[in-house]
Amino acid sequence: MARIELRGLHKQFGGGVVALDRLDLEVASGEFVSLLGPSGCGKTTALRIVAGFEYPDEGEVLVDGADVLHLPASRRNMGMVFQSYSLFPNMSAKSNVEYPLRIRRQPRAERDRRARDLLGLVGLAKQVDRYPHQLSGGQQQRVALARALAHEPGVLLLDEPLSALDAKVRVQLREEVRRIQLELGITTLYVTHDQEEALSISDRVAVMSEGRVEQVGTPAEVYVRPRTAFVASFVGTVNRLEARVVSSVERTVRCGEVVLTVGADVFDHSDGTSVALYLRPEDVGLRTTLNGDGDNGLPGRVRSVTFLGPVTRVGVDCGLGALVADVSSETALGLSLDQPVSVVVDSARLRTIAAG
Amino acid sequence: MAAVTVGPPPARRRGRRHLPVWHVLWIIVAGAYFLVPIISLVQFSFGGLVNGHSAGFHWYATVFADPNFRSSFWLSVQIAIETVVLSNLLLIPTTFWIHLRLPRLRPVMDFVSVLPFVVPPIVLIVGLIPFLTPFTFLYSRPEVLAFIYVVFALPFLYRSLDAGLRAINLRTLAEASANCGGSTWSTLVRVVLPNLRSAVIVGSFLTVAIAMGEFTISSLLSFNTFPVYLFNIGQTTGNEAAALSVISLLLTWALMVSLYLVGRGGRTTAQVAATR
Repeated sequence: MARIELRGLHKQFGGGVVALDRLDLEVASGEFVSLLGPSGCGKTTALRIVAGFEYPDEGEVLVDGADVLHLPASRRNMGMVFQSYSLFPNMSAKSNVEYPLRIRRQPRAERDRRARDLLGLVGLAKQVDRYPHQLSGGQQQRVALARALAHEPGVLLLDEPLSALDAKVRVQLREEVRRIQLELGITTLYVTHDQEEALSISDRVAVMSEGRVEQVGTPAEVYVRPRTAFVASFVGTVNRLEARVVSSVERTVRCGEVVLTVGADVFDHSDGTSVALYLRPEDVGLRTTLNGDGDNGLPGRVRSVTFLGPVTRVGVDCGLGALVADVSSETALGLSLDQPVSVVVDSARLRTIAAG
Repeated sequence: MAAVTVGPPPARRRGRRHLPVWHVLWIIVAGAYFLVPIISLVQFSFGGLVNGHSAGFHWYATVFADPNFRSSFWLSVQIAIETVVLSNLLLIPTTFWIHLRLPRLRPVMDFVSVLPFVVPPIVLIVGLIPFLTPFTFLYSRPEVLAFIYVVFALPFLYRSLDAGLRAINLRTLAEASANCGGSTWSTLVRVVLPNLRSAVIVGSFLTVAIAMGEFTISSLLSFNTFPVYLFNIGQTTGNEAAALSVISLLLTWALMVSLYLVGRGGRTTAQVAATR
């Protein structure tokens, strides 16, 4: 399987809109990398440049070390699944999957066998003769995936393939995409704005903002150790607190009247500088007994209680601003609005990022 | 407390809805406006006496026995086929390319495509004759009509193709085809054209109707096409001309029924849109 390198990709559209700003990214052979970011961050543009549907103003796209920018899309040997349903309406599911093989003049028997195998792989063995308008959205995207894999491409590109599907189908299909990717070991570049989708199926996630990659890492790294304020706030829900460094040696910061000790994170802030503290809701604990004895305890009051199923999101006003904490729904049964609580912060999970 | 009934009683609700008298009268007048001339035409085509007997199908038999009818009809059919082939060869790739690569040209094409409505045929041919005169080999052959009729067919075929291409997600389909390894030609022939079947057929039928019915230019260029023959017969034998007109009407209706059947048999826009 192929290795992809994007080097210094720069793309500016009419009106001065910079879609990609010197983007660098490497995808190892057989790796599943997601480009994650909000609308307009340039992730689809990057994917379309790799596919050959857009051309960068500057930069290189290397596949196994060879620049492919001069090749038209039809000769890049990549499979792509599009956001909108892209099946050929005049062809059955099987004919759609056979299409890349017909273009390559493969024998009829071989085409038929390969198309049936792939449709079986995506769970549509019984729908081979159905036409696109006879298939559901999820089934159409399965056929599109089978078609993208038919000619055994070196790279699989997926451009928000699940965004038009309902939530339940989305979860099922993303797991199938990952299963098939692992089974075939194909290098995959996946574009999505859905963080849960990206975190759940990727080997690595590249979080993008304004045409740049803000951070690349495993889903756990990106979620637990965000390097920038954007990553911290975009990936998952996060609490942000303003603070000032008390001691860079002891890793203590003052947040209002409370001094907090920051955990094992990289701490390269000098004394007295302003920093932002980032804290996930699940790393915030709530105590209803107010002893005021904990180092990281902040006094507060319950402002909202939102039931989310396994957890309940509790909004607390701790005087420094609004914080949210995810507590088990069973624990939350005893909470009521305006109830005084102590907010317990897991100092090992506190992230500090220089205040911008 | 008394129950309150809302709406008309059930028996009345189930009863037949009566149209107001004025509506019925209006429909009869409108129907008569179209039907009376046709009925009169049909009646006239069976009218008159032949050797002291009722004509019956005599005028139809005369028409079909006339070698000039067969030659003029065949000439019109040939020109219609040539026009359809030429128009499609010219417009299918053009419209495809404009939709895919040059969408900014669409307003220009929209404007150009209505020009044949604005320019009367007589003006067009007066302008064309000096241009065609040096090309004797073309000017003297009836095929020249096909080249001219392409212009008249432009609004109908272009609009039909334009609507067909708007109904499919052309850009994505073309990109999907390219991603599968397909060239532009493969995309056009294997992906786009099959999805434009209805549009091409509808546009082609309209082109045939134009080519089969055009009189002014073929008369001015002295080609004995079917409409010219019909006109000449009408100058001499009224009943025979009426029979010819009935045949012409039947052909037109057959064409319309074909259009309807093709439209029904082809993929609907909704079906295509559902696959987007």
